[in-house]
Amino acid sequence: MSKAVATADLDTDRNWTESEFISAAMEWHFSPATGSPFWLERAGSLEFDPRRDVRTHADLRLFPNVVNELREIPLEDLIPRGYHGQADVIGSYDSGGTTGAPKRVALLADWFERSLAWKSGRMDELGFPTGANWLTVAPSGPHIFGRLMAELPRMRGGIGFTVDLDPRWVRKCLSEGRAQEAERYAEHVVDQVASILIQQDIGVLVATPPLLERMTARDELIDAINTKVKVIMWGGAHMDPDTRYILQHEIFPNVALRGQYGSTMILGGSMERATSEPGDRSCVFDSFSPYTTFSVVDPVSHLDVAEGARGQVVMHHLSKSLLLPNNLERDMATRVAAPPGALGVSVADVAPVSMFEDSTVIEGVY
Amino acid sequence: MTSLLWTDTRQLDALGASGPFRASRSVPVVGVDGTTLAHLSLVPKLYIKRNLDALRRAHPMPAQERAQCLAAAGELFLGEVDGVSLREHELAVCRASGVAMPVVRRASLSIAESARVAEESVQQARPAGAVNDWRSGAAAGTVWVRKGEVFAVLAPGNHPATHTIWLEALAMGYRVAVRPSRREPFTPHRLVSALRQSGFGTDQVVLLPTDHDVADVFVREADLAMVYGGDEVAARYGARADTLVQGPGRSKVLLADGNHEQHIGTVVDSVIGHGATACVNASAVFVNGDAAGVAAEIARSLSKIPVRPPEADDAVLPAFGIDQARALEKHLRSRLGDAKLVSGPDLVAELPGGGAVLRPAVVLLDRADAPQVNIELPFPCVWVAPWSLDVGVDPLRNTLTLTAITPDEALLSRLIEEPSIRNLHIGDQPTYLMRPGLPHDGHLAEFLMRSKTVMRDLPVVPEQLRPKDMPCLIAKTNNG
Repeated sequence: MSKAVATADLDTDRNWTESEFISAAMEWHFSPATGSPFWLERAGSLEFDPRRDVRTHADLRLFPNVVNELREIPLEDLIPRGYHGQADVIGSYDSGGTTGAPKRVALLADWFERSLAWKSGRMDELGFPTGANWLTVAPSGPHIFGRLMAELPRMRGGIGFTVDLDPRWVRKCLSEGRAQEAERYAEHVVDQVASILIQQDIGVLVATPPLLERMTARDELIDAINTKVKVIMWGGAHMDPDTRYILQHEIFPNVALRGQYGSTMILGGSMERATSEPGDRSCVFDSFSPYTTFSVVDPVSHLDVAEGARGQVVMHHLSKSLLLPNNLERDMATRVAAPPGALGVSVADVAPVSMFEDSTVIEGVY
Repeated sequence: MTSLLWTDTRQLDALGASGPFRASRSVPVVGVDGTTLAHLSLVPKLYIKRNLDALRRAHPMPAQERAQCLAAAGELFLGEVDGVSLREHELAVCRASGVAMPVVRRASLSIAESARVAEESVQQARPAGAVNDWRSGAAAGTVWVRKGEVFAVLAPGNHPATHTIWLEALAMGYRVAVRPSRREPFTPHRLVSALRQSGFGTDQVVLLPTDHDVADVFVREADLAMVYGGDEVAARYGARADTLVQGPGRSKVLLADGNHEQHIGTVVDSVIGHGATACVNASAVFVNGDAAGVAAEIARSLSKIPVRPPEADDAVLPAFGIDQARALEKHLRSRLGDAKLVSGPDLVAELPGGGAVLRPAVVLLDRADAPQVNIELPFPCVWVAPWSLDVGVDPLRNTLTLTAITPDEALLSRLIEEPSIRNLHIGDQPTYLMRPGLPHDGHLAEFLMRSKTVMRDLPVVPEQLRPKDMPCLIAKTNNG
C-alpha cells in the first residue's frame, strides 16, 4: 500500500504517491540513458533490481551504504546522464571530514533552488522576517551549510553579511592538543561577528551552536542580539536541549531560536518543527520529504527503532540530481512520527554518538 | 524503614545561581549493590559559564556573617535537609560510595565541625605579619586578601569528609562552584543545600554536576580551582599556578625503633582508618628489621576485620560493585611480580545483598626501592618492604603523610626538611589523623590568599569613631 505524498517530483510538482515517486526515481537513476556513471556501474553488483524491487521508502534499505566511495570517485561520475552534459553545477561540497578523508557530492542548480524554496517556505512558517539583513557565521565552503544560508537573504529581501570559518582547522588544532590555537581562532571569528552585529542592522543571525555560546560571553553581543535580531538560526553542529533552553529563556528571551539539522551528504538540512510546545526542551526536525528523509535505527542491529526510542540517524537523499540512500550518520536521535504524508520519520534531540557511548568525537567550533 | 526513599528515585538537581535546575540529561547514581539510588542532572557548558559569571558578579558576605552561616549550615547538615534525614542521607552515601557506615557517620560530624570552625581554621594560615582588615593595620603593613573571587572544586567521591576542605574557601569570602563526583554526589548536594538554607545566597555557592568532558571549563573559567585525581590529573594540571592538585596520597609508615610488635596497631589504623579509601591511608610500610615478620603480623591483625555490608553498624572495609572489586583484585595480582601476597588467598568477598568487599591485602617486597611501593589502591592494600638507614630517605619521598616511628632525631630532621613529604607524624600517630587547623595537605588558604602591602598617609581611624556603614574598600574593588 502506498500513502499519498504531498509534494514530490523529479522534474515538476506532481501529486505523487509513495510508490510512484520512488519508482520514478529508480527509473531515472538506473536507466542507462539517465542514471549516473556511479550508480550504473554498481547496478550490476546489487543483489536486486532497483527498478523492479524498490517501490517504497522502506525498500531503500536494500541499498548498501556507499558514502565511503564518495571519498575518491571523480565527481563527474555522480551526475546523472539524463542532464545530457548540461547540468548546472553550483559546486562540489564536502562532508565534515571528521572520520578520514572527506566525502564529496555535487550540488546542482535544480536541487539548490528547490531546496532553498522549501527552506524559505519553512522560514515563513517559523516567523522569519522578510526584508531583514542576515549575518551568517558559517563556512563558505567546502561544506554546504554556508552556501545555502548565503542565498537566503537574497531570496527574502535583505542584505547578506557573512563571516567565514574553517571548522577543519579548529578540529585539527584540538586533535593535535593545540586548544589555545583553536581558542584564538574562535575569538578571531567572534571579533568579526561583533564588528558586524554592532555596526549593522541585523535581523537574522545564523551561527553554529559553539559560536553562539561563545558570543554569549560578551555582554555587548548579548545586548546587540537582543536589541536587533528577530531570529537566531542555528545549525552545523549539535545543540543539547538544556543549552537551547538556557539560550532561549535566559539569554535571548525575545529572539526566536530556530534550528536546522542536516548534512552535506543529503545536500541540505531539515528544519525545526514550528509547533514545538513552549517549555518543551525537545527539538523536532522534519526533513524535506520525499527528497531528503530520515530513519532511526538500532546502532548494532541497524533495524528501525520504535517510535519514541533513541537510535542512530540514517539519512537518505533521493532527487533528480542525486541518489544517496542509507547514509548512517554519527548522530543519535529520538524517532518521532513524520508529518502526515511525509516519508520516513522525523528526529528529535539529536546528539553526537559520544554523548551516549564513550567514544571521543571532536566537535569544536563547527 | 527506608523503602520510601528507594522506591521513589531521588532527583539530584543542579543548584545554580538562579535556583535548582533539572537538566534533560542525567546519570543514575548506582550503589555498590547495583541499585539506582538517584538521578543526577548533568548541566551543559553554557550553564557552568553563566553560573561562574554570576558568582564573579556577586559580592562576598561580611566575614562574620560567613562564619555564622557556615556554623548554622553545619548544624543543619546534621538535621533534615530537603526532607532527607541525616540517617537517610548517610545510607545513600554509604551505598553509593561503599564507605563503611561508621566512617560515613564520623564524616558527617566532621563536616559539621569543620563548618563551625572554618573561619578559625583559616586564621591559622594567616601570615603573622598580615591583618584581615586594612583599617586595623598600621600605616604601612600587609593585609591578607583573596587572590581571586571564584573558586571551583572538582570534588572526589571516595570519602564524604573531602568536602570539609572547600568550606574554608567560603569562610575566606570566595564564591564557590562545586562539581560533585557522579559516584557520590549526595554529600556536596546536601552541603550546598544546607549552606543556602543557612544564609549563603544562591550566588555564593553552586553545585554544578557535569560530564567528564566539560570538567576543564571549571578550571578555565574559575579564578582558582582544586582538582582531585591520580598521576594523570597531576600531570595535566600540576604545572598550572591557578590549579591546586590533590593528587595521589602514597602515605607511608616507617617502623625503625626496633619494637615493631608494639606499633602494629598504628600500622593497622593507618591502613584502615577513615574507611581505607582516603589519600591519608597508608599504602606502604618500611621496616628496619624483620619485614616478613611485620607483614605477617599486619596481615594477621587485618584478617580479624569482619566482612560486613557497608551499611552495617560494625562495617569497616569499603565495598564496591562486584565487577569493580574483581577488577581491583586482578589489577593487584597483575602488579605483584616477585612480591609475595601475605594475606589472602581470596580478596573478593561477595555480599549477600549485592556488591563485594575487598579483604585487606598485605604484600611483602624484598627491597625498599621496589616500584610497587607507589601503588595506591582504594581498599586496604599495603606493601611492606625492608628499610635501613643505608637506603636513606629516597623510598620515603612523594608521600602525603609519613608516620615515622624512630628515635633518630637526625633522620626526623631530614624527613621534616624533605619537600616531597607533605606531613610528618612522629611516633604512634596514624597517618589518617587530621583535624581543622591541622590540614593534611597544607592550608587551603596558602593557595587562595596572599598578603597585599598597604601604605597610607591617613591616620588610622579608631574603631569607635568609624561610621557603622563604612564600606569595605576591599569588597568594593570587586565591583569591577
